[in-house]
Amino acid sequence: MLRRGGLSGGPSDLLSARRRGSVRLAAAVAAAITALAVLGRSSDPASKPLPASVTVGAAIALTGNANLYGQDQRMGLALAQQWLSSTAQPRPMRLQLEDGASDEPSAIAAFNLLIRRGVIALIGPTLSQQAFAADPIAQRQGVPVVAPSNTAQGIPQIGSFISRVSAQSSVIAPLSLDEALERDPEISRVAVFFAQDDAYSTAETAIFQKALAQRGLTPVSVQRTQLADNDFQNPITAALQQKPQLVVISAQAVDGGNLIRQLRELGYRGQIVVGNGLNTPNIYPICQRWCDGVLIAQAYSPDLNTPINQTFRRLFQEANGNSTPGQITAQAWTAYQVLFEALQRLQERGGLDGVTLGEARRRLMQELLAGTYDTPLGPIHFRPDGEVVQGRFYVAVVTMEANGRDGRFRLVRSIDVNTAAGGPTP
Amino acid sequence: MPDNGLLVQMILGALLGLSVYLPMAAGQLSLATPAFYAVGGTLAALMATHADHQGTISLGAVLWEMVVAGALTAALAALVGLPVLRLRGIYLAIATIALVEIVRVAILNLPFTGGATGIFGIPQPFGQPLGYIGLSGGLLALAGWGCQRLEGSRLGRAMAAIRDDELATRCMGINTTRVKLTAFVASAALAGVTGVIAAHYLNTWNARQGSFDVAITTLAFVILGGSRSWLGPVIGGLLLTALPELLRPVGDLRLVLFGLVILLGPVFFPQGLITPELLERLGRWDLRRLKP
Repeated sequence: MLRRGGLSGGPSDLLSARRRGSVRLAAAVAAAITALAVLGRSSDPASKPLPASVTVGAAIALTGNANLYGQDQRMGLALAQQWLSSTAQPRPMRLQLEDGASDEPSAIAAFNLLIRRGVIALIGPTLSQQAFAADPIAQRQGVPVVAPSNTAQGIPQIGSFISRVSAQSSVIAPLSLDEALERDPEISRVAVFFAQDDAYSTAETAIFQKALAQRGLTPVSVQRTQLADNDFQNPITAALQQKPQLVVISAQAVDGGNLIRQLRELGYRGQIVVGNGLNTPNIYPICQRWCDGVLIAQAYSPDLNTPINQTFRRLFQEANGNSTPGQITAQAWTAYQVLFEALQRLQERGGLDGVTLGEARRRLMQELLAGTYDTPLGPIHFRPDGEVVQGRFYVAVVTMEANGRDGRFRLVRSIDVNTAAGGPTP
Repeated sequence: MPDNGLLVQMILGALLGLSVYLPMAAGQLSLATPAFYAVGGTLAALMATHADHQGTISLGAVLWEMVVAGALTAALAALVGLPVLRLRGIYLAIATIALVEIVRVAILNLPFTGGATGIFGIPQPFGQPLGYIGLSGGLLALAGWGCQRLEGSRLGRAMAAIRDDELATRCMGINTTRVKLTAFVASAALAGVTGVIAAHYLNTWNARQGSFDVAITTLAFVILGGSRSWLGPVIGGLLLTALPELLRPVGDLRLVLFGLVILLGPVFFPQGLITPELLERLGRWDLRRLKP
C-alpha cells in the first residue's frame, strides 16, 4: 500500500502531485462553468426596444435522419423570402436559419440560440417529437412559433404562443384509403406496415387502422419495422403470405421508400397507400420506378390553380429545373408567409411603434391568429388555440418518369373538408 | 459563448461520461449507461406527469425522483450485474449493448410509457436554465468529489488493480466480483439520476433518449477525454457536447469538423486529453516556480 511521504520523485510523490493536479483542474473547470453560467444569465433581449428590421428564426432539420424534410423546408423558406422581399415592407423581415437537427437536444439548442439572438418569432422544428421538447421553451419566453410540419396531436395545445400550418392527418390520411377502395371495391385483405419506433408513424398507423375498421376491413397482417431498418425481407415475406390486396404504410421517407421498393421487388403487385412521412419528392431516388402508382393524401397539391400557387410553382421550378414542389416545401413557404403578412399588418396599424421585443412578440401572435391567408395550400386561418383551419385536401398518385429517377405527385382528386384538426406528421 | 441551455447539456454529457468511466476504472468496458439513463428519465417522466403539477414541480419533488431513480437503477444494476460482469472485454460490451436494446424496446412497448411518442409535458422545476445548471452542476461536483476520494481509497485502488491485472488482483485476496459490481452499480445510479434531470430539462422523454447511439457518444467522451482519471470523461463530455453548437458559425461544415475531431482526437491524444502525466505536471507546476 502506498503512503504519503517517502523519497522525492517516488511513487507517493507522483500520486500526491497527480491528486493536486486533479483538484486544480477540477477547480478550474468549476470556475469556468460558473463564469459562463453567470455571463449567460442576463442575455434575454425581450426587454429591449424592437429594432428597425426584425428577424424570424427557423430551426429545421438540416442534419440527421429528418434532413430530407429539412432540405424541402429550406427551399420553401428561401422561396418565400425571395418572393416577399420584392413586395412593399413597412418593416423589413429577415430570416435566420439554424440547424435543429433531428433530435430533441439539438432542437432545444437551436431554439435557445435564436431566442437569445432576439428573433421575433420561430419557424420549426421539423419533427413533432422535437416540438414537444423545444416548443415549451419558446412558450415560456413568449416567442411565437409556427410549426411547418408538426402534425402530432397536441402540438398547438403546448401553449398560447404555439401554432401550426400543417394540418393533422387524422382527417387527411383516410382519404387515400377511399381512393384505393374506389379503384378496387373488391379489396378485403389489407396488410399494414409501420415504423414502431417513430412517433409520427405509430400515431398515423392508428388513424389508418381505425379508418380501415370503419370501412369494414381488418388487417390480415400488421408488421412493425424500425426507422433505421434497411432490410424488410422478413416482414414483407410474412405479410405477403397473407396475400394482401392493399398495403398501407406509415413510415418516414428513407425507410418507407426502401420498404416500397422491396415490396415490389418481392413480387407484390397490389395497391399501396402511404402516409405523410413519404410526402416528399425525396422518395423518388429511393424507391425509383417502384414508387409508381403509390397513393398518398396531401395537404398541398401543385395542381391547385390559384395565383399564389402558380407563383410558388414558378419560383420552385426556376430554382429546381422542371420538378414540382412537395407538401413540406409548400408548408414551409406558408409558415414564412403567414408570419410576414401578420407582421406587416401589425406594422401598418402602428402596433409595433415604440414597443419592446417582448411586447412585439405578444402582439404578433395575436395578429397571426386573427388573420386569414391566401397561401399555396389554399385559404387558411387559425383556431384560437393555434390549430390551422384548412378547407381542402388532396389525394395524389406517384407517377414516375421512364428514367426511374424523376417523378411527380399527380392529383387524382381534391376533397373539401369543413375543418382540419390534429394528427401526426413527420 | 455557450448559452446556459447548452451549458446544461454539457454538464449532463459530463455526468454520462463519468457513468461510463466508473466501470472502466475497474477495467470493464460497459456500454450500459444509456439503459440506466433511460430508466431514470422514464421514471421521472412517469412520476412527474402522473401527479397534477400543472406545468411546474417543486425542487423537492425532483430530488425525490432522483433518489428513487438512483435506488431503482442501482437495484437493477445489481440484478443484471452479477451474471453480466462474468463476461470480459468485448463480450461484456456486447452484453451491455443488449441490455440497452432490451430497455429501449421495453420502453417502446410498455403500455404506460407512451410508445414511440413517449411522455410529453413534463413539468419544470425551474423557469430558467440557470436552475438546471445549479442542480446538474451540484450533482457533477458531488460525483467528481466522490471519484476523487475513490482514487485514493481501498476500493479505488482495488479497481485500478483489477484494470491492470484481474487475475493477480484476485490472487491477492480481493473479491474482484464485488469491486466490479460496486463500480457498475455506482455507474448505473449516476446515469439514472442524470436521466431524471434530463427528462425535466428536455420537457419530453421517449425511447430514443436511451439508444445505442447514446452509448457510442458517451464512449467517445471517455476516449477523447481520457480514461485514466475521472476528469478525462468530464472534460470529454463537456467538450464533445458543446462542439457541434460552437461550430454553428461554419454552417454545413460543422458536422464534418466534428467528425474530424472525433477521428483525429485519438490519433493525436491516444490516451485522451487528460492523462495522469498531465495531472502530475499540473500538480507540480507552482512548486517549481515557488521553490526553485
